[in-house]
Amino acid sequence: MSSSLSEKPTAGTYFSVAAVLLFFGLFLFYPLFYVFKKSFWVDGGVSFAFFRLMFESAVLRESIINSLLIAVWVTLISAAIGFVLATLMIKTDLPAKGFWGNMFLVPLVLPPFVGAIGVKYIFGRMGMINIILINLGVISERSPIDWLGAPFWGVVILEVMHLFPIMYLNVMGSYALMDPSLEEAARSLGARGLSLFRSVTLPLLTPGFFAGASIVFIWAMTDLGTPLLFEYRAVAPVQIFNAVQSTSENLMGYALVVVVLAITAVFFVTAKFVFARRRVEMAAFGRTSGSMVKLGLPLKALAAALLAVFVIMTMIPHISVVLVSFSQEWFMTVLPEQWSGGFYGRVFTHRMSSMSVRNSLALSGMTIVLVLLVGALIARILTRKKFRGKWVLDVCAMLPLAVPGVVLAFGYVQGFYGTAIDPRVNPVPLLVVSYAVRRLPLVVRALYAGFEQTSVTLEEASANLGAGPADTMRRITLPMIRANVLGAAILAFAFSMLEVSDSLILAMEEKFYPMTKAIYMLMARLGDGPMIASAMGVLGVILLAASLWGAQRLMGRRMGDLFRA
Amino acid sequence: MVSVEFRGVTKRFGPTVAVNDISLTIEKGELFFMLGPSGCGKTTALRMLAGFISPERGEILFDGHDVARTPPHRRNVGMVFQTYALFPHMTVEQNVAYGLKYRKVGAAERKTRVGEILERTRLGGLGTRYPSELSGGQQQRVALARALVIQPDVLLLDEPLSNLDTKLRVEVREEIRRIHNEFRITSLYVTHDQDEALSLADRMAIMRDGRIEQAGDPAGVYARPKNAFVAGFVGETNLMKAALSQSGGVTALDTPAGGVTIPQQVPGGAREVEISVRPESVRVCDPEYGAVRGRILAVSFFGSTAKLDIRLDSGFEIRALALGAGRRWKKDGAVGVTLEAGDVVVLE
Repeated sequence: MSSSLSEKPTAGTYFSVAAVLLFFGLFLFYPLFYVFKKSFWVDGGVSFAFFRLMFESAVLRESIINSLLIAVWVTLISAAIGFVLATLMIKTDLPAKGFWGNMFLVPLVLPPFVGAIGVKYIFGRMGMINIILINLGVISERSPIDWLGAPFWGVVILEVMHLFPIMYLNVMGSYALMDPSLEEAARSLGARGLSLFRSVTLPLLTPGFFAGASIVFIWAMTDLGTPLLFEYRAVAPVQIFNAVQSTSENLMGYALVVVVLAITAVFFVTAKFVFARRRVEMAAFGRTSGSMVKLGLPLKALAAALLAVFVIMTMIPHISVVLVSFSQEWFMTVLPEQWSGGFYGRVFTHRMSSMSVRNSLALSGMTIVLVLLVGALIARILTRKKFRGKWVLDVCAMLPLAVPGVVLAFGYVQGFYGTAIDPRVNPVPLLVVSYAVRRLPLVVRALYAGFEQTSVTLEEASANLGAGPADTMRRITLPMIRANVLGAAILAFAFSMLEVSDSLILAMEEKFYPMTKAIYMLMARLGDGPMIASAMGVLGVILLAASLWGAQRLMGRRMGDLFRA
Repeated sequence: MVSVEFRGVTKRFGPTVAVNDISLTIEKGELFFMLGPSGCGKTTALRMLAGFISPERGEILFDGHDVARTPPHRRNVGMVFQTYALFPHMTVEQNVAYGLKYRKVGAAERKTRVGEILERTRLGGLGTRYPSELSGGQQQRVALARALVIQPDVLLLDEPLSNLDTKLRVEVREEIRRIHNEFRITSLYVTHDQDEALSLADRMAIMRDGRIEQAGDPAGVYARPKNAFVAGFVGETNLMKAALSQSGGVTALDTPAGGVTIPQQVPGGAREVEISVRPESVRVCDPEYGAVRGRILAVSFFGSTAKLDIRLDSGFEIRALALGAGRRWKKDGAVGVTLEAGDVVVLE
């Protein structure tokens, strides 16, 4: 018999719903629809001509296959790593779990795109590793090893290093939800060891597994920044990027976007609805701590050593970017010959970088306002109102998880051509909108959790004591969900500062460059460009790390939920 | 102070009818109870008075005025929520003062009135605490103080004692009685606990499946339940079939526990009816003096009373409440049983 303050939607509700739907219609469905129309509608009729052309093009065919393979490998490797780490943490008496748990999350704060800068310095032809080997006489100066010769694996490895924490968080989440008495029951019925694991534990983990996998897959398949920095052109996102850059309208670009979207959509829907449907309702009562495998001292030492090596490996990109950002002179030596902190100053004096920092701050600030407004409307309607078809809002709010940034940005550039907000003229409105759309699932989730935790009864009590809806919102609801609002705002801000694909595609003139685009452009410049770019990257990483830490403090343990599909 | 009237009120949630065409009046200053099992619609009725939900059909009248279009925050109805709904980010004082701000009470007077109500609800000295720093009983009284301080026209209590342990429950029950006697605010109290209703209510309504089964003062409802549900829900009772016959203005009943002649007139002719006899109206004596004989199956001894389960020779099992410890009731002991004719109720 739970009914809320206004179980019947009011005029205000309908207005809010209409406003939110208009937002989605204009900035999510219209650009996608436009891309579909362009790719299927030729000379007044439906045609698959562009698709045929696309598949006849060796480069595009190869690009799609490469992107798919990257996504598959990244997902498989991340899943394996995440699963092993989570199982070690939950099922064994590994020492110093708190420390390891934190270390596993460090890679989240380094966008692989930034890490790629440093990695090039370490693994380049004249990079640190080869110089060490040359100095040791292992290889000759004339034939250095081409570590990055296979950019495919460079991209895969960098993306795995960034994305495995998402799998780790999701598997941990599933373990946390699992009622240990289920395993105990299985054990009492005779299952043990591997067969127990296979018959009970693993099936119960699958929902969390696929929730994480769908995010990782889509991310890896459509990441633009990493392959661009490795100058790996034969992948779908880079081809889409090129299609936008080219002056003549490249209609195969539309077809490519449709194919990418179709692949991600299929994967997302499969993960979400086929596997999520099997989500087992876990018992909330009588939670026991479950049983742990006792590792002997040698095994403990071995595990700790392996984890240490692994953690150090995951931090190579971080360390290398920091090194580059402080290196005055670094050529043909193991470590930089001269150190300088001056590039951090240059970030704020160099024309392009300083302007980009200002642009990013302004854009991200505006994004917060927009995304909180839309997110709060949606979260409030979802938690507090009842009407038919409400699920449509829910689906819309989560859809950006399935729509890659490159696809959306491509749609914006083409769909809003010649309008008042044409990004070729002024990308600011659409940059803000695209940042907001990309962060909407996270913000809606954070606020939804806040509204859920705040009992409707408190709002009723407030109304009962004479406070109108606006006063109740201001004095009761907002103070109660303040932590979630702040946390969501901080995360939205930090992720917007480091948003790659939208920034690279939408900002075309230097005066509009956000930080990520400036980093990309500076990398290509000779002289101190890469160092300034690295310094900017490091600053961005510090900002993101601080934001994640702050948001974690504000929202507590539930933050892991925000990174699930 | 106002009177409150439900006039033909119906409320549905989807396919379930939560409240089904109820009509009743709560008089000025009355402490009225709605009593019934969970899901009977009592909370829905209460929430309609608060304005959180609106009736689908029918009217709700305060002093004869329809309040359908008055939103919750303009109704001046004080409510004590089952979970208390104290604002966790506000102190006791801030919680209690909350409603006064929306009644344009000046800061000075607000302070006086908050201090006064805290004293009267025995919360003096706790004003600067946060709800989480209070015991369950104290939280309960803050909820009560917060609802009373706005001098509401109507006070609503939604299972206010259900989150307290047994001992506190009795204490707070007395507290509520004292406060109601002092303030005399028209009140609607919703509960599934018959003890609360019987001990506190001026009048009460027994509800089932969205309908009012019977309304009246507690003693009347207890003594003259209209049907088996009310008889069973309010207090304990023996239900049995009896053959009814009438002659010369006298109604005779042939029951499993012997024949009785009851003073009241029952409309209708001779037939089989269902009757209710409270345990305390089942008299137990030595075998030779009873209307029928039986054997004791079980004894629960309470000091001043003893509850006896007796199997009559006819095979019918009956429960009796015997007063005093004068007799030693023993399991398997033979007894005689007589029904108190004046207390036998013919049910609908």
